[in-house]
Amino acid sequence: MAALIYRPEYAGYDFGPEHPFTPARLAMLLDLLQSLGGPVSPIAAPAATREEILSIHDEAYVATVEALDRGEARPEADQFGLGTPDNPIFPGMDRAARWLVGGTLHGARLLMAASERRVLQLGGGLHHAQRGRAEGFCLYNDLAVAIQALVDHGYRVAYLDIDLHHGDGVQNLFYDNERVLTLSFHESGHYLYPGTGHIQELGGGTARGLSVNVPLEPFTGAEDYLEAFEAVVPRALDWFSPHVLVVQAGADAHFDDPLGDLALTTQTFQTLYRRILELADTHTQGRVLFTLGGGYEAQVVARVWALLYLTVMELPVPQKLPPDWLERWRTVLGPAVGQNLHDSEQTFPELGGREARTRRNRDVVARLLDSLCPLWF
Amino acid sequence: MLVKDIMRSPVTVIPTGTTLGEAFGLFQSRGIRHLPVVDQGRLVGVLTDRDLRATTSNLSGTPHTAGDPVSTAMTSPVLTADPLDPVEDAARIMRAHKIGCLPVMDGAELVGILTGMDILDALILLTGVTKPSSRLEVALADQPGELARLTAFLASRNINIHSILTCPGPGPGGALRTVLRVDSNQGRPLAEALRAVDFEILWPPPKPWPN
Repeated sequence: MAALIYRPEYAGYDFGPEHPFTPARLAMLLDLLQSLGGPVSPIAAPAATREEILSIHDEAYVATVEALDRGEARPEADQFGLGTPDNPIFPGMDRAARWLVGGTLHGARLLMAASERRVLQLGGGLHHAQRGRAEGFCLYNDLAVAIQALVDHGYRVAYLDIDLHHGDGVQNLFYDNERVLTLSFHESGHYLYPGTGHIQELGGGTARGLSVNVPLEPFTGAEDYLEAFEAVVPRALDWFSPHVLVVQAGADAHFDDPLGDLALTTQTFQTLYRRILELADTHTQGRVLFTLGGGYEAQVVARVWALLYLTVMELPVPQKLPPDWLERWRTVLGPAVGQNLHDSEQTFPELGGREARTRRNRDVVARLLDSLCPLWF
Repeated sequence: MLVKDIMRSPVTVIPTGTTLGEAFGLFQSRGIRHLPVVDQGRLVGVLTDRDLRATTSNLSGTPHTAGDPVSTAMTSPVLTADPLDPVEDAARIMRAHKIGCLPVMDGAELVGILTGMDILDALILLTGVTKPSSRLEVALADQPGELARLTAFLASRNINIHSILTCPGPGPGGALRTVLRVDSNQGRPLAEALRAVDFEILWPPPKPWPN
């Protein structure tokens, strides 16, 4: 039904114990999938080669990452966004990042070879990485490398980003490319990192109308989010008629995420995943590649991405979390995890200002569509 | 940031004998709105696209025609800036006189031009908004040492600051609204850490539910 890509080497992408983007999230997730669904035997993809990284990134930047990987001192590292609190230097960083890129690229190749229709890469989603610079926990842009390979294969690619943060790296790298449609749903960049993803960013040159951004108000919940999604995504895909859908499925738009202020629940994520699969069936003959992404609360990402796995694999969703798994990861999960896979229905109180928030979100979508419709139709 | 850092140079100029039709052609082809007018190398006026539109409009009593010289429509005399003027002074002069540009003079020589658009570019640069960053708003008491306390905290966490801007809060003696753009994806955890050491953070707000 669907291919799962993962290998233990992904755990090497590790910025240290104090850093939010910790590989512990993946180990815990894989253990949960095994406890939930019986034997899981993921495909172990090869690391991306240097040449494959260079299909997107500058040689000077890659050479710097390689030198730091070997433990060489590079005073100019900060010019490349490296050695900052977001992107600390660690030995083996080039290799670690290439494992992640390799997995996403392998997923794209499975789709191109028509050996799979659905692929879930349990890692990657490094959507902030720029051509010559590390940004926001992202060293190499695995999504962009995969998208470039799909474009070179002759595909039109629709990229959908449901991470809390704007998918700025992917957008910038394909801003003028008429073969790539980027759609990003995120908390407004007026305050939140990276500060972009405004509705006026529409793509350049002949690709105008192919960068689509839906910035949502802080504390936006499921109803507004799904309404905006339905208003934009189906008609964008209808118009663009892509061959393949690439999805960055960050889990940090969940209400409990420590880095942001959107207020989605596990139920919202499941609805979104189902809808994305439906849209792939309608528009891309089912061809879809999911990666992970942001998501910084351990007990949330384990449950959200388990739902992603179960939904993509069309497996039944159990009500309870496996007790043995809860026991093994007790210290990482903390007391907030509860007993169930889904959030409880009354997880957080009704937030004030809901009407104003809904009005602003609807305004943003209306203004976005006003700009796009003349470009599309 | 000085005028010379953000001015446009070299400048397209026109001699006094240039016709309005020729000036219109330059406005269109170069996508500009201001043309300094020179007489034997000396700056004598500025022709703006607004001067041109107003004097040639059919709605004016005796509209100028395409063959008239620019000297009949230009603004003169002209306010100018020095390359070494701070940008904020140039902005204040443009705002106070409601003008859209300042020719930049080094002695008698016209060396550049500064327009309202260049001031917007300066604002973008000053705020650091073009770099990926998180935005924090902190209310600081308007007294010595407060900003130092804030930046020392960020330094202790190795956080690079792209920009700091302050503006007065409402009312006399009110706190200074301080807007920072920091080179980090971890704006919210940073805000919580600052709250924990008694900074008043205006944005991001505390989460409205227990975390």
